[in-house]
Amino acid sequence: MTLFTLALVAIGIWLQIPRSRNWPRWIGMTAVILGGIGQFLCLRIPESPLVNELLFWLFGGGALFFGVLMVTGRKPVYCALWFAMATLSTCCLFLQQSAPYLAAATIIVYAGAIVVTFVFVIMLAQQAGATAYDQRSRQPGLAVVAAFVLLGAILTVLNQSSSKLIAVTPPPASAPSSDVAAAEEADAPAESDKPAVEVANSLSHPRPGESLGTLHGTGRSLFGDYLYAVELAGTLLLIASVGAIVIAPRRGQGT
Amino acid sequence: MSHTVLWLIPLAPLVAAIFIALLGPKFLREKSHLPCILGLLVSFFSSLFLLFNLVPQGFGEHGHDIAALATGYDFLSFGQLTARLDLRADAMTAIMLSMVTGVSTLVAIFSSGYMHGDKGYARFFAAVSLFVFSMCLLVLASNLVVLFVGWELVGLCSYLLIGFWFQKPSAATAAKKAFVVNRIGDFGLLLGIFLTWTTFGTVDFVQLFSNHEQFIEVAQANPGTLTAICLLLFLGAIGKSAQFPLHVWLPDAMEGPTPVSALIHAATMVTAGVYLVARCTPLFLAAPDAQLIVAGIGATTALLAALIALTQTDLKRVLAYSTVSQLAFLFMALGAAAGLESPTPAISAAMFHLFTHAFFKALLFLAAGSVMHAMGDVIDMRRFSGLRKALPVTHWTFLCGALALAGFPLLSGFWSKDEILAVLADASKDPFHGSFFNGIYWIASVTALLTAFYTFRAYFMTFWGPEKFPEEAGHHPHEATPAMAWPLRILAVCAVGVGFLLGPTGYFGHYLHHTIGFPEAGEHVMHVNIMVISGIVALIGIGLAWKFYVQSPELPGKVARTFQPLYELSYHKFFIDEIYYFLIVLPLRRFAQICSDSDIGVIDRTVNAIGWLPRLVSWVPRVFHNGLTPAYAMVMFVGVVAGVLYVVSFLPK
Amino acid sequence: MTGDIERYLAVAAGLFAIGAIGFLTRRNLILLFLSVELMMHGVGLTFVTFSRMHFTLEGQAMTVFSLTVAACEAGLALALILALFHISRSLDVELWSDLREPDLSIPISPSDLDPVTPPEEQEFPKLTPAGRAPVFPRKPVVIKTSGSMSRKV
Repeated sequence: MTLFTLALVAIGIWLQIPRSRNWPRWIGMTAVILGGIGQFLCLRIPESPLVNELLFWLFGGGALFFGVLMVTGRKPVYCALWFAMATLSTCCLFLQQSAPYLAAATIIVYAGAIVVTFVFVIMLAQQAGATAYDQRSRQPGLAVVAAFVLLGAILTVLNQSSSKLIAVTPPPASAPSSDVAAAEEADAPAESDKPAVEVANSLSHPRPGESLGTLHGTGRSLFGDYLYAVELAGTLLLIASVGAIVIAPRRGQGT
Repeated sequence: MSHTVLWLIPLAPLVAAIFIALLGPKFLREKSHLPCILGLLVSFFSSLFLLFNLVPQGFGEHGHDIAALATGYDFLSFGQLTARLDLRADAMTAIMLSMVTGVSTLVAIFSSGYMHGDKGYARFFAAVSLFVFSMCLLVLASNLVVLFVGWELVGLCSYLLIGFWFQKPSAATAAKKAFVVNRIGDFGLLLGIFLTWTTFGTVDFVQLFSNHEQFIEVAQANPGTLTAICLLLFLGAIGKSAQFPLHVWLPDAMEGPTPVSALIHAATMVTAGVYLVARCTPLFLAAPDAQLIVAGIGATTALLAALIALTQTDLKRVLAYSTVSQLAFLFMALGAAAGLESPTPAISAAMFHLFTHAFFKALLFLAAGSVMHAMGDVIDMRRFSGLRKALPVTHWTFLCGALALAGFPLLSGFWSKDEILAVLADASKDPFHGSFFNGIYWIASVTALLTAFYTFRAYFMTFWGPEKFPEEAGHHPHEATPAMAWPLRILAVCAVGVGFLLGPTGYFGHYLHHTIGFPEAGEHVMHVNIMVISGIVALIGIGLAWKFYVQSPELPGKVARTFQPLYELSYHKFFIDEIYYFLIVLPLRRFAQICSDSDIGVIDRTVNAIGWLPRLVSWVPRVFHNGLTPAYAMVMFVGVVAGVLYVVSFLPK
Repeated sequence: MTGDIERYLAVAAGLFAIGAIGFLTRRNLILLFLSVELMMHGVGLTFVTFSRMHFTLEGQAMTVFSLTVAACEAGLALALILALFHISRSLDVELWSDLREPDLSIPISPSDLDPVTPPEEQEFPKLTPAGRAPVFPRKPVVIKTSGSMSRKV
């Protein structure tokens, strides 16, 4: 069933990829939507609350759907718009998974990126008009097959190992400290006198009673456990901006 | 004291050579001869000091002489073989050194006039200095390995000097020929050294020859090996001293500048072979068979070279063949030691002739060079004649040299050649090999006659007859400059007087027998009857030449026509070069051609075919190499997918 | 049998696959760049999902870094696209095939030979012109100054 719906989606995408003699758009779109719905039905969780289910359908399906639209679009401007929609949907998925800080950060970063891209697209692509390279694509069949083989493999593995993919329940709030929680996990009296040396990145664990992904916790993790990495990332950004300035053509040369 | 003097002898020319080679072309230019002459003079006076002071100090009872020694360092050390770079001088060394350095100095002075204005002036004197250094090293070597080093250096320098005018193809070819032919001999010498080492366990002269009993013991234990050693060493000597099978390089060496010929023929190169055989006398004494071969080859070469010299028209070529012939005399004498009770007179005679020959042959060559200089580099005797008025100094000095070479009574060549003939006559009384040496004695006598004839043929053709100059000379041939004339005069005095001073007095023999490994000499005996015979022979030869070339100049042509085949044979040098060409060069060329063809046709094609294999294999994948980034990304992505699938296939179900 | 974690991972894998398809098939440089961003969304979503599964913040921190890298990438990629466009006046990635074997001709997709269907012209509303239309070519504005400048002419 899963594989069948996957194949349906793949055929739908393949039909929509730009080529010289296009199939009508609705055939491919119908195939994608049907296949996607079938696939999502496979992923349904019967006993979960309806709100959860609805939100997942909305944003998960939305992200994928807008992604397909972006990939198959003929006009770069629309593609950029679909990409923005896909990004927004992904951010909502982040929110659903208790990562509010990340969702906000992604929106902010991509707002900048998308706006810049948009400006570029308008500036560069529109002056070229309808170009051949947007109407044609290369190796569509091979790409779709390869990508969906990968996807099928991942989904098969997920299906097989779904019993192990269970979220850890947060430790009870009554526990005095994370050290004790770690000691309880070890579940051995001989090791209980050892402090939480075994737990790496202890700052990245939410404090007892704290929920996942609070701004407080994220900050503690980033500037505690990952301080060096954060500094390095800052340096990388600096270097990248310098590099971008170097690479970009000078104003004097005309753009 | 002895240390300094001994090191000074080879090092002074070496320093001069390096100095000239480094500074000559830029700074010294026309003064390049000065360091060379200075170095050679230092070397010469050191040699004289060695000859008259140092070596006689060490003379004791026979066999207990103390040689002058200068220690160096370990030059080579392989396992048990240790060759030290030591210098060692005894009587024979001292005589050789004074002769070598003396003649070389005079030649260098002569060259400063002769080579004046040549482009390679500095190069010439650097090579001459190096040449003398090599020869001194060879003579002073205390063991066979260092001797071999000097030997090879001499070969190198001869190559450099014979090919001095390398722009001329003939000179380049002659240099190559000399080098290649010498390689054959050097190979023999090298094998001989190896065999000496494996047999006796040492290559040091003192260790080899001083312990006589042990030496004889080893020699008697394996006589075949000893004969082989001697023959191999003699092969080296044949190459260096231009004896019969390998003599072909020496006449061609005339392509070099004439002073170089004088140097090679008189002082430095060809004497090396004789020196080697004389130095290894004890070895040869223990191998009589080898000595017979030495004498036989000497006799063959002497007669052959003399016959060839009869008809040559090139003045220098006549002299070259006379050198070959005279060196053959030396080998005859060295070989004759087998037929004598005491071999020392034979060695002594050989070294004495070597000594006198050096002077008059250098003189003859330098005089020929002077003629050539005056005649505008023309050396063909048919194109000039009657030069005795135009070139008086050259004429008189050439006459002295020619008389000495012909063995005119009381001149130096007479005394030394007479001793050789006497030795041969003595050897023919030997009960075992008497008849063999008797034959050699007669060959030597005939050769002496021929020598007198062809020498004076050259003399009369050049200096007598109607005055005739080639057009290259202009109308007024100029006599030698002082720098060229004075060496000629000095050498002429030596050629006339040295033999008389040293030979009849027996002084030379007495001095020489202090060499290590030489048996005790008997009393010096004067062979009056032989002296008379050889004097008469020389006079007959000179008279014949006078008859043929002065009295009736049409006679040689008649004789040549009468004996046409013999004349052709002699004129073409017995076709030895041609025989070598057909027997050795042509087959080698064919073989090389076959090798080259197979290399190109088989090996190269195989390699190329193997080279084509990757191309064929790459024919398919290179299509993917189309430069498109998405295509590359596609390949990468397919690879990732394949990797993921591979990992997934291992997951537990 | 599906779990809550699993389906988020499935969505992430789907995003990744779709982005990959886009990257492999499209020829517009800007679209390639957007496809890569889509793939990074998939990766980020995976991180966040695992973060929730293990109840730690490590996955989210990692996503922050991937976000940083994405930002860097965006800057550099746009600069590069600009530079390439400056040279070739086109966003076609197939123009940049200098690494191909020298004797292979510049590859042309067979579909390139077909005529491109022109996009349907859409009438967009236009604003009414305002102000004064500039005169071309522009004339240099002569600034009158007192004294010294006028003497030069």
